[in-house]
Amino acid sequence: MKIRRSAGALTAAVALSLLTACGGGNAAAPSSPGGQGGKTLVIDTAFQLKTTDPARMFEPTGLLIDQAVYDTLLTFKGGDVTKPVPALAESFTASDDAKTFTFKLRPDAKFSDGTPVTSADVAFSLNRVKNVKGNPSFLMAGLTVTAPDPATVVVASEEPNTAIPFILPNPALGIVNSAVAKKNGASDAEGAGKSDTAEAFLNKQSQGSGPYVLESYSTTSQVVLKVNEKYWGPKPAYSRVVVRNTQANVQRLNVQKGESQIAVDLSPEQAKGMGDLQVVNGASPNVFFLFTNDNPEISKISSNPKFQEAVRYGIDYQGLVDLAGEGAVQAPGIVPSVFLGALPAADGIKRDVAKAKAALAESGLQNPTVKLNYPSDVQVNGLNFGDLAARVQANLKEVGINVELAPASVQTALESYRGGTEELGLWQWGPDFPDPSNYLNFLPGQLVGLRAGWAEGAAPELEELGAKARTTVDDTARSALYVDIQHKMNEGGPIMPLIQPAQILVAAKSVTNLQSNALWLVNVRELG
Amino acid sequence: MSSAKPKSGAPGTGRRAARPGGVLLRFLARRLAAALLLCVGITLVAFTLTQLVPGDPAAANLGQQAIGDPAAVAAFRAKYGLDQPLPVQYLTYIGNVFQGNLGMSQQSHRPVAEDLAEFVPATIELALFAIVVSLLVGVALGVVAAVNRDRWPDQVLRVVSLGGVSMPTFWVALVAFYLLSFKFDLLPGTGRLDPVLSPPPYTTGFYSVDAALAGQWDVMWSALGHLVLPSLVLAVYTVGMLMRFSRASVLEILGNDYVRAARAKGLPERVVIVRHVLRPAMVAIITVAGVAFGSLLSGAVLVEKIFSWPGVGQYAYRSAVNLDLPGIMGVSIVVAAVYILINLLVDLLYGVIDPRIRLT
Repeated sequence: MKIRRSAGALTAAVALSLLTACGGGNAAAPSSPGGQGGKTLVIDTAFQLKTTDPARMFEPTGLLIDQAVYDTLLTFKGGDVTKPVPALAESFTASDDAKTFTFKLRPDAKFSDGTPVTSADVAFSLNRVKNVKGNPSFLMAGLTVTAPDPATVVVASEEPNTAIPFILPNPALGIVNSAVAKKNGASDAEGAGKSDTAEAFLNKQSQGSGPYVLESYSTTSQVVLKVNEKYWGPKPAYSRVVVRNTQANVQRLNVQKGESQIAVDLSPEQAKGMGDLQVVNGASPNVFFLFTNDNPEISKISSNPKFQEAVRYGIDYQGLVDLAGEGAVQAPGIVPSVFLGALPAADGIKRDVAKAKAALAESGLQNPTVKLNYPSDVQVNGLNFGDLAARVQANLKEVGINVELAPASVQTALESYRGGTEELGLWQWGPDFPDPSNYLNFLPGQLVGLRAGWAEGAAPELEELGAKARTTVDDTARSALYVDIQHKMNEGGPIMPLIQPAQILVAAKSVTNLQSNALWLVNVRELG
Repeated sequence: MSSAKPKSGAPGTGRRAARPGGVLLRFLARRLAAALLLCVGITLVAFTLTQLVPGDPAAANLGQQAIGDPAAVAAFRAKYGLDQPLPVQYLTYIGNVFQGNLGMSQQSHRPVAEDLAEFVPATIELALFAIVVSLLVGVALGVVAAVNRDRWPDQVLRVVSLGGVSMPTFWVALVAFYLLSFKFDLLPGTGRLDPVLSPPPYTTGFYSVDAALAGQWDVMWSALGHLVLPSLVLAVYTVGMLMRFSRASVLEILGNDYVRAARAKGLPERVVIVRHVLRPAMVAIITVAGVAFGSLLSGAVLVEKIFSWPGVGQYAYRSAVNLDLPGIMGVSIVVAAVYILINLLVDLLYGVIDPRIRLT
């Protein structure tokens, strides 16, 4: 009897707890006032997050979070990344040679502990990014930061660098409270890669001057931000922001049900039929591109200029755009359509099978077979590399080129890509900063150029244009130079820009002023 | 399971009666020593296999620009000891493990021990909930099926159990989430808590328990509510499996003479089943349940992914794709330790269920 009674009691207890728990499950509506005071905003995204320490952070989810927590000298408003606007710096001047940028700090900015933001904090934060040698350190390469007086910061560059005002809004260059950070192990000295031990502290307690502070942090479940009571600017609309790690198909259901207010990673297909929700749909700044290795030692076929021409005109760009769904566009050049110096849509390559076949015939190659490498386990804006690769394979088959697909996990594929050993490669480039100078990486002898076997000296005219663009200060002149560079890249060479996928944000109607930003996707501070 | 052997003789042998505590302690000491060796062996296997995978942890964890900067690559390698020869790396790691240091995770930039302290309890909480439901439902239905052998309840339950073991868990998870959470709004959806609530102060890592200990009842109910759907999904497979084993085990016992004798004595059927059939049948059921619990822990990856459950499965997956060696090793050690502990527990439970089983 004893056994039976206790088993019965256990069953009843479990049943009761299940029932009661079910009933209590949806007790709190996330966006409703109340809970723990004020409105809560829930953002669902598939986490790409390793840290929130600005000096080490360079992943999409980290950018979204740090943008809300840390102020930068300059920033971007809404979705417009072509014009940096004041943030901690109320004004700035650039020298004519684009080597010296002088920033005047606003006097009223305060950190979350109430202490004022000074030029020493700015110099410390930026030098720390440079010397920690983490993922964002390259942003500060060749730059020196000094603080001649408490309200002035001077950023000097070894080479003329017109991109500085576009680099500085990056949340990785967020300004930290140097006094508190130093007490907790932060260092901006050379060798900070080893001596700086502040990351764990900054992942527990943020030290910024933005409208939010970190309440809790996890790289796998959620990051919670709460309002910074000492914030010097206007109070943000939400007192608490919960950024949750959620896969895309669940994001869709959550936002439809009202469990979250913003879904970040829906594909165009998933964003269809969203009924009462708002859909912000625009082209992503991520560019998918194909390259045919220009190094004859890697492949005699892919380095053949006429073969490259056959591939360039053999691809059905419109078909790829259709595959990527509503909101996607053809990348007419390597610079994304939302940046200065982008090519107009009409300048993109159009498919011409006859021209491609003629080029292949001229190449002297008979039924060539090439291997196309791509990462098979990642999606960018809901788009699979595998789907695009299969389409490219089918397109080129019509021209007479046999493409063998060589998918690999991203970590394996990255090695051959970065080593420049892939015969054909299908990859994408997300901007490091929204300035066309970031795309000079695609020229011969540069980072991506070398991955495509495009050695220095392979296209002297193009390289000369690149060098000129790098040092030109005037926006009109440099825009013209980038247009010229891209036209030349479209005429010949191993790199073929394919598409920019759609960047979609789906949100509840209650969320106002939602715009997609190329750098941090959602500007939490601007939301209403 | 391993060294616990059923002995068919009379209950309570002289040896066991003389020094039961000593035998048990020796048994535990032997098992724990073997467990330690096994854990070390597992780290060696995990370390070797990870080295065989093509790919460079620096390439996996550094950005597209940083990987081109030799200083950044050197800083990364130095930080994680990757600039040392492989045997030195392994021996350093093992040395640190014995001092309680599982290393720094390259993907979360935190000590692995801290990561595991956060993620392992989340999965154990889920798996415990699932295994309790599975045992209650699976065993009850298995008994019903056995008692009604070849009649309609048995046929229906056979289809149910077959469905349970053959439906892919990720599919069940998506359908259950869509129907029970999204469509009919019966259960909360993803995560461990409602977003408006903050986690309770850390004591055990089980949100439901920690919240109760802290007296945060709204948090406790939210934690329990969020447990229901993912654990039910996990339980679908184990219910099916336990139902089949329970049925087979009960049927075997039902054919014994002492069951016929009990019935002949005029004992009510319920008493016959619970006292004379179910108890001996539990030996086999507990064995299966132990294995099922272990597989729930290590196999919850997809369910954790779909329900955004921050458990060790997701952590293991992320460690693997980022070639995060300390993370992979940490998870391997924990999973091995859990399996070993479960085996041990199951062995000890044999003795509780059937006193004729002694520790040898």
